[in-house]
Amino acid sequence: MKTWKKFLSLGLASLMTMSTVACGSTSGKSNKSSKDSGGKTEVTFWNSFTGADGDMLVSLVDKYNKENKDGVKVKMDISTDLDSQLSSAFAAGTGPTLLLSSSTYRFTYGKYLQDISDIFDKTGLDKSDFISSYLDYCSDGDKLYFVPFQLVGYYMYWNKDLFKEAGLDPEKGPATWDEWKQDAEKITNKSKNIYGSGISYGYNYQIAHIMQRFGGLAVTKDSNKWKANFAENEGYKKFLKMYSDMVKNGDNPQEKETDPMMTAGQIGMTVGGPWVTAGLDKAGVNYGIGQIPTGDAGEMNSCEVLGFSVTKNASDKQKEAAYKFIKWWNTADKNGDSPALQWSLKNGYPAYMTSVMNNAQYQENKKLQAMTPANADAPTDFICDSSFEGINGILSDVIPPMINSVAFDQSSIDDALKTAQNSADGIVAKYNK
Amino acid sequence: MKQIYRFWNNPKRSAWIFLAPSLVLLLMFSVIPMFIGLGLSLFDVPVTMDTAKFVGLQNFVQAFHDKRFLNSLRVTAVFTLIEVPIQTFGAMMIAALITKNNGVNKVLRGIYFLPVICSATAIGIMWKMILHSNIGFIPAVLQSFGLGKINFLNTPGLTIFVVTFISIWRSFGISAIVYVTAIQQVSPSLYEAAEMDGAGKIRQFFSITAPSIRPTFWYILMTRLAGSLQIFDIIYTTTNGGPNYTTESTVTYIYNRAFSTTSSMGYASAMSVILFLIIMVVTVLLYRRMNKEESS
Repeated sequence: MKTWKKFLSLGLASLMTMSTVACGSTSGKSNKSSKDSGGKTEVTFWNSFTGADGDMLVSLVDKYNKENKDGVKVKMDISTDLDSQLSSAFAAGTGPTLLLSSSTYRFTYGKYLQDISDIFDKTGLDKSDFISSYLDYCSDGDKLYFVPFQLVGYYMYWNKDLFKEAGLDPEKGPATWDEWKQDAEKITNKSKNIYGSGISYGYNYQIAHIMQRFGGLAVTKDSNKWKANFAENEGYKKFLKMYSDMVKNGDNPQEKETDPMMTAGQIGMTVGGPWVTAGLDKAGVNYGIGQIPTGDAGEMNSCEVLGFSVTKNASDKQKEAAYKFIKWWNTADKNGDSPALQWSLKNGYPAYMTSVMNNAQYQENKKLQAMTPANADAPTDFICDSSFEGINGILSDVIPPMINSVAFDQSSIDDALKTAQNSADGIVAKYNK
Repeated sequence: MKQIYRFWNNPKRSAWIFLAPSLVLLLMFSVIPMFIGLGLSLFDVPVTMDTAKFVGLQNFVQAFHDKRFLNSLRVTAVFTLIEVPIQTFGAMMIAALITKNNGVNKVLRGIYFLPVICSATAIGIMWKMILHSNIGFIPAVLQSFGLGKINFLNTPGLTIFVVTFISIWRSFGISAIVYVTAIQQVSPSLYEAAEMDGAGKIRQFFSITAPSIRPTFWYILMTRLAGSLQIFDIIYTTTNGGPNYTTESTVTYIYNRAFSTTSSMGYASAMSVILFLIIMVVTVLLYRRMNKEESS
């Protein structure tokens, strides 16, 4: 009986070990296959483009796989939850060769990414063609971790029909925040459920972009130490006061989801990413696009830069193959066309390369022109100094409680800013150690 | 081979073969992760889980000083106190009305069950649109009746009830169907005898139906209680904890702490352990009460 018990435990243990090995073998297989595929060097390419832009990415990657003479095959994996996928893969010692993500991923996954500052020398890509402020955004000192792929800036959108009804110039959005407030008052029509302003208490990025215009960066470097700038920030105070007043007056809804309202033609002006245009176009809204009004903090091109990075899973050969794909993406053919240009034109994202900006098709595209900053050299930092690793904490743990407490009148503006300062100090202290 | 066959061809031993797949899955996906979670709660671990710094009970101390965690426990308690009684008693009453196997009842059971088979994401998006303050159907109808503008999803104090309603609407069907099955097992002779003694339908329900289906009642009560204390999907898809964190349940907060880019796996595990202990204590107390009642 004892022998059989041993046999049974051995059997169960083998079964469990086998299943574990089976799990491991999948990743092992993917690693092996990433090295070589029919004589071609395979590049495993992970990203999270699941929407219509994802379909375009698939077709462009297919095109590269069919046409390239580099001996490279790009094997793409699009994930709805790239963060979880990456964290578990890196923890298990696997993962992609090539990654497409926000450049802020270097703060979370930095030690899994390779320095790719030699890409310009090795591929012949013209470094000076890339707008330097965006390359800076992807760098840490001399090390470059991402090659820009897409700029996610926030813009002002206004409903031209509502502007006309309110007696405002439909071709021109407000240039300052005082004008925004005045225009909002004129557009609001309570009997029709129409609000002049569409600032949402639930869109953290929207709030951050706006408050940055009023009071500058929330975290800056002071004598080589990080410093949070919430309490006593007159700009932030002014923004919160304006938002609170507009909510109380009924010129701005006390609402988390304002994009659907903009799409339904019930919002006069809002601030959002380039994706807002898709909904507005589909709904047939007559709208204008422009840069977010400048506030007391001056001119800025704050944006999030998405880019290509090469992970430490890549061998030298795979790294070289990934470089070839990145070069192809950013290189124009004899007609001046390139995947980077097509991506901008079809998806409505502004260019990060001067050659793309100067392209005739790009120049003719009114939306892209409106989104392209007049001064490309203005600072691109978004809400925090671009090298501050705790930016996500500021966006998810400091700004939401602050705006919520003001939106629902749970605390005074000064108290909301003091609480925000305390939370931000906690985050900053972690990175000052 | 024959020896192996002979050995396993014994009810006591062969039972292990049938149990093995479930045991292996249970071990791999429940028991082992539970112990890993317990271990993680004592460490400071990032999302990549490649480094771990032992911090002892610091994560637990932090949790009890974290206003957002304490608020999430309060929200979860309010949600549970509303949802569980409605699910257990409301579903029982509805089930009593649709027990007979006639056409109308079958259709009604189908209607009640429909939300159960829909995905939580679809339900969340649907209700979010229906209840939207400005473009939603229900607020528009209420406004047209002169009831003013009701902001169902953005009013602290009201939204928790709205989310609870959506959750009840979604899972009410499964509780009702389980009750229907239980009621159908009650011997018809009991009802016939009661009728002969002049008992009305309400008396029959309280004196025959309710006592006869007590094991089912306990089952629904315990599963709904454990489910409510772990509420996540409906909240995540409708309000994501808003407005002003008034609907942020414990699991929603744990998820945010574990899987956001500011991830802190150790801290999230510590909060999970606290929630696990709460659920365990409540379930054990109920289980003991049930056993006591059965033995008496």
